[in-house]
Amino acid sequence: MMQALQDSLVATAQGLPVTLAIWLAAVALGMAGGFLVGALRFFAPWPLALPLAMAVEAVRGTPFLVQCFLLYFGGPFIGIDLAPVTAGLLALSLYGAAYFSEVFRAGFLAVPPGQLEVARMLGLSRPQAVLRIMLPVMALGVLPSLANLCVILIKETAVLSIITVPELTFRVQGVGTSTFAFAETLLVLALVYWALSELTAWGARTAERRIARALAA
Amino acid sequence: MSTILQVRGLQRRVGATEILRGIDLDVTAGEVIGVIGPSGSGKSSLLRCIAGLDDIAGGSVQVEGRTTRPGDGAIGMVFQQFNLWPHLSARENVALALRLVRKMPAAAAAEKAEAALAQVGLAALAARKPAALSGGQQQRVAIARTLAMEPRVLLFDEPTAALDPELTTEVLDVIRNLAASGTTMLVVSHEMGFVAGLAHRVVFLDHGQVVQTGSPREIFSEAAEPRIRSFLQTYLSRVAWVQG
Repeated sequence: MMQALQDSLVATAQGLPVTLAIWLAAVALGMAGGFLVGALRFFAPWPLALPLAMAVEAVRGTPFLVQCFLLYFGGPFIGIDLAPVTAGLLALSLYGAAYFSEVFRAGFLAVPPGQLEVARMLGLSRPQAVLRIMLPVMALGVLPSLANLCVILIKETAVLSIITVPELTFRVQGVGTSTFAFAETLLVLALVYWALSELTAWGARTAERRIARALAA
Repeated sequence: MSTILQVRGLQRRVGATEILRGIDLDVTAGEVIGVIGPSGSGKSSLLRCIAGLDDIAGGSVQVEGRTTRPGDGAIGMVFQQFNLWPHLSARENVALALRLVRKMPAAAAAEKAEAALAQVGLAALAARKPAALSGGQQQRVAIARTLAMEPRVLLFDEPTAALDPELTTEVLDVIRNLAASGTTMLVVSHEMGFVAGLAHRVVFLDHGQVVQTGSPREIFSEAAEPRIRSFLQTYLSRVAWVQG
C-alpha cells in the first residue's frame, strides 16, 4: 500500500504540470472565444448570431466525454489527426468557450438599459458607451460566474485521461492499474483535485475581489 | 419670451395602441412646465419622445427651431432610476461625457464636474462611488451629470418616484433651485404640492392627449374638467386619509 501511495505521488508530480498547463491554456482560450461568441450573439445580426447559438447549444447539450471522443477518434475520419494533448486542449477550450459565452451574454443582458440611455442622451457614441459603460458594468456582474467556471474546468481536465492525455488522472490511474491499489490511488487523486479546486476557488475569489474593488469600490 | 421648445402633433404608437395622440406644446425660455396625469396617461412617453429616446409615429420636436436627436446637447434628461454608472465615482460620472463628447482635458472636465456637483450640494462626496451614496444623493449626482452638459431644456421623469419620502426633499430642493435660476424644464411628477409650487404652467395628460393646460391655480383649484377633478380627488383623498 505504501508503495502504491508513493507511486501515486510520483505520478501526481508528473501529471500535475500537464493538467495545470492545459487548464490555464483552456481558460485563456475559452474565455477569449467565449467573450467573442457572447459579444457577437448580443451585438451581431441574427444570421451571424443564430449559428453561434446553435453551436453553443450543441456543446452544452452533449457530454464533454463524447466531445473528446468525437474530436480525438472522429477527427481522422475527416482528415483531422490530432495528438492527444492538442485534441484535449481543443475540446476543453471549446467546451469552456460555450459556457463562458453564456456568462458574457448574460452579463451584456444584465446591464441596465437606462445606464446606456443616459450615455446616449449625453452624446456618447455607441462604441464609447460599450467600452466605457457596458464592459465595466458587465465585468462586475460576471466575475463570480467566471471564477466558478474556472473551477469547473479544472475538474473537467480529468476527462482528458480517456483520450490518453498524460495529465493527473491518466498518470495516477496508471499506478492503480499496475498495482491494483485502486482505492488508495483514487483517494490520492480525489484529494489532489479537491486541493486544486479549493486553491483555484480561493485564487478566483481574491482576483474577483481585487477587480471588483478596482471597478466599483 | 421666445419659444425654446416646440412640440407639434407628437404621436407615438406601440402596435395598435396609441400612446400619444398629437401633443402640441410650446415652452418659452426659463419656463417650468409640470406634467401630471394618471398612470399610463403618456407622461413619461411624452418626455421620452421629446428626448428622442422613443420613436414617434408623427409630429415634430424642435429646440430653438432645430430638430433634435439624443446626444446633440439640446435636451438633458433625468430619469426615475438614477442610472449612475456604478464603476465610476460621482466626479467621474459627471466628467465622462465632458471628456469624451466635449473633448475637454481631464483636469478641466474634473473641475467642471466638481462645480456641477457643488451646484447640487455634493462637492464633498465627489470621490464616492454610487454604491456609497444614498438614493437622494445619487439622483443629485445624476442631475449634476446632466447639468454639466448645459442642455437648453431639462426633462425630469418622476425624479423622486424611486426615493423614500425623507429623501425626496433634497432632490426637490435642487430642482427648485434650478427653476429659480431660470432653467427651462419639464417635470413629470406625482408630487402635486411640488408641481403646484414650482411650475409656471401645468399640463394635464390623459390617454395620450392634453386635457388642459393652465396655471397651477387653474389646474389644481379651478379646473372643471371631470377627469382632472377625479384625478385630483383621488390624490387628495389619499392625503386626507393620512391627515384624518
